[in-house]
Amino acid sequence: MSDLFIVDDLTVTFPTSRGPVEVVKNLSFTVGRDDTLGIVGESGSGKSMTALAVLGLLPRGAQTSGSVRLDGTELLGKSERDLRAVRGNAISMVFQDPLSSLNPYYTVGLQISEMYQTHQGGSRRAAKQVAIEALERVGIPDPERRVDHYPHQFSGGQRQRVMIAMALCCSPSLLIADEPTTALDVTVQAQILELLAELQSTTGTGMIFITHDLAVISSIAQRVLVMREGDPVEYGTAEQVFSDPQHEYTRMLLDAVPRIDDEVPA
Amino acid sequence: MTLLQVRGVTKQFVTRGEGAMAKKSTFTAVDDVSFEVELGETLAIVGESGSGKSTTARIAARLLEPTNGSVVFDGQDVTRAKGKELATFRNNVQVVFQDPFSSLNPRYTVERIITAPLSYQGIAPEGGRRAFTQELMERVGLNPDHYRRYPAQFSGGQAQRIGIARALAVNPKLVICDEAVSALDVSIQAQVLQLLMRLQRESGFSYIFIAHDLAVVRQISQRVAVMNRGRIVEVGSRDQVFGDPQDEYTKTLLAAVPRINPEWDARRRQKEAS
Ligand SMILES: Nc1ncnc2c1ncn2[C@@H]1O[C@H](COP(=O)(O)OP(=O)(O)OP(=O)(O)O)[C@@H](O)[C@H]1O
Ligand SMILES: Nc1ncnc2c1ncn2[C@@H]1O[C@H](COP(=O)(O)OP(=O)(O)OP(=O)(O)O)[C@@H](O)[C@H]1O
Ligand SMILES: [Mg+2]
Ligand SMILES: [Mg+2]
Repeated sequence: MSDLFIVDDLTVTFPTSRGPVEVVKNLSFTVGRDDTLGIVGESGSGKSMTALAVLGLLPRGAQTSGSVRLDGTELLGKSERDLRAVRGNAISMVFQDPLSSLNPYYTVGLQISEMYQTHQGGSRRAAKQVAIEALERVGIPDPERRVDHYPHQFSGGQRQRVMIAMALCCSPSLLIADEPTTALDVTVQAQILELLAELQSTTGTGMIFITHDLAVISSIAQRVLVMREGDPVEYGTAEQVFSDPQHEYTRMLLDAVPRIDDEVPA
Repeated sequence: MTLLQVRGVTKQFVTRGEGAMAKKSTFTAVDDVSFEVELGETLAIVGESGSGKSTTARIAARLLEPTNGSVVFDGQDVTRAKGKELATFRNNVQVVFQDPFSSLNPRYTVERIITAPLSYQGIAPEGGRRAFTQELMERVGLNPDHYRRYPAQFSGGQAQRIGIARALAVNPKLVICDEAVSALDVSIQAQVLQLLMRLQRESGFSYIFIAHDLAVVRQISQRVAVMNRGRIVEVGSRDQVFGDPQDEYTKTLLAAVPRINPEWDARRRQKEAS
């Protein structure tokens, strides 16, 4: 079976006052249907830029080269109009910073139902019902009431879950989640990871999961990509990367993971 | 010595639904919460998403009025402090916010962001603003050459470190860290945690450290408070809360901590040892 999503030799360049800077360098990976690729790496290594490049959402001035194909269709270089049809429909994204990616002037219910209606149609009333159910699925208490609230009235972790709810109600072929659980306590996080796994097994959604949490990666990803300063330093199956890391940086990261059973100074 | 006392703090939010006929409703986000922070101590607050941790932090920092209860800092009731008294309090208490980008002014350069708290206090850093900014940037693992960049030119974890550098710039007595290291890779995270602990030893900083990563909390805190649905359900020394948790919710939380696949981890360690 051919892979759902293929990134081949992707490079992202920013112009700066000191000349062009490559923030993503010659990156290649694939994601299969129902598969999860975990991306980990240094803060500032180009993980979010990779996600934005795929969606055509890079800041102005940034340039890309290489190839990004979803189901055989090339996405790099597509017009903004074509990309808009892809975003939210074929590819959903959970952004790293929910507060700045949600619109502060609209209720979360309206934002979820608009996303749903744009892609799936249906009446306004039906879409609101979808929004309420989506909030319920991600564990927001009292969803009938919360659906009419604005983003600033939610906690950090609740906003993350609103973004996840929004992504889920579009049944995308590919879900890109950038640090989607950093503001969740471990029990809610476990519920959300289960929900994502369920979505994958019912709809065959492929997932790119960007996180600093290596324990989470080891439990959900089939393949792992490790990045540093824009470079892909290691790429392999989760078992390979965790049990037999090839690169010094990966070994250093794994050694630095804080562990709940570690010795701590008194 | 007790630096901060939060006494019986309650926060109710009044919200309204959509439309003209919508009913008002009241939600109690923080419900009769009390705790203390000693001088030179780190108190961690952990707990459910939506349990009231950030709201409590904002009240403790006087960024939000409590519905009930009081905040006492250095022996002074600051719950209704104004003017000069409030300004002094603000200098002594810094916050690293949970959402890094929205807490940084997008129109300011890093240099201006980091030195703004100094400017308010009329302090001119020795050696000049630029050198001061660059030194702080270096300490939190940022490239000091980027002092003239704007927030949008940084990654999530870099923006978080700008927030940390800004908080440390004024030598506060208390730093409230709300998920302050959650966007950092484990290696830079370790570096930042070391820095926070060193500053505590050298300058006697106190911290309120809100985090979901319980392994990090165990490393950095002396005492831990666990919140659930607006209340503190358990508070105790680190060793007591982690080693002998009393509350059911705390037990559930500790049991849910994700771990790296133990078999893979063991194989790696074996290879490394040989
Ligand atoms: N507009 C810009 N101009 C120049 N460089 C930029 C710009 N935006 C981001 N960068 C740089 O690009 C690099 C990659 O950023 P990216 O957001 O992809 O990092 P990341 O891996 O997601 O990091 P984090 O884990 O901290 O979120 C960073 O070093 C950042 O400073
Ligand atoms: N302005 C507001 N209006 C109405 N409700 C609010 C407001 N701010 C917060 N809340 C609610 O108060 C509760 C506590 O929020 P808070 O941000 O303190 O949670 P938290 O413990 O920090 O959660 P997280 O770990 O997800 O960041 C949440 O249920 C939230 O939805
Ligand atoms: Mg990022
Ligand atoms: Mg919070």
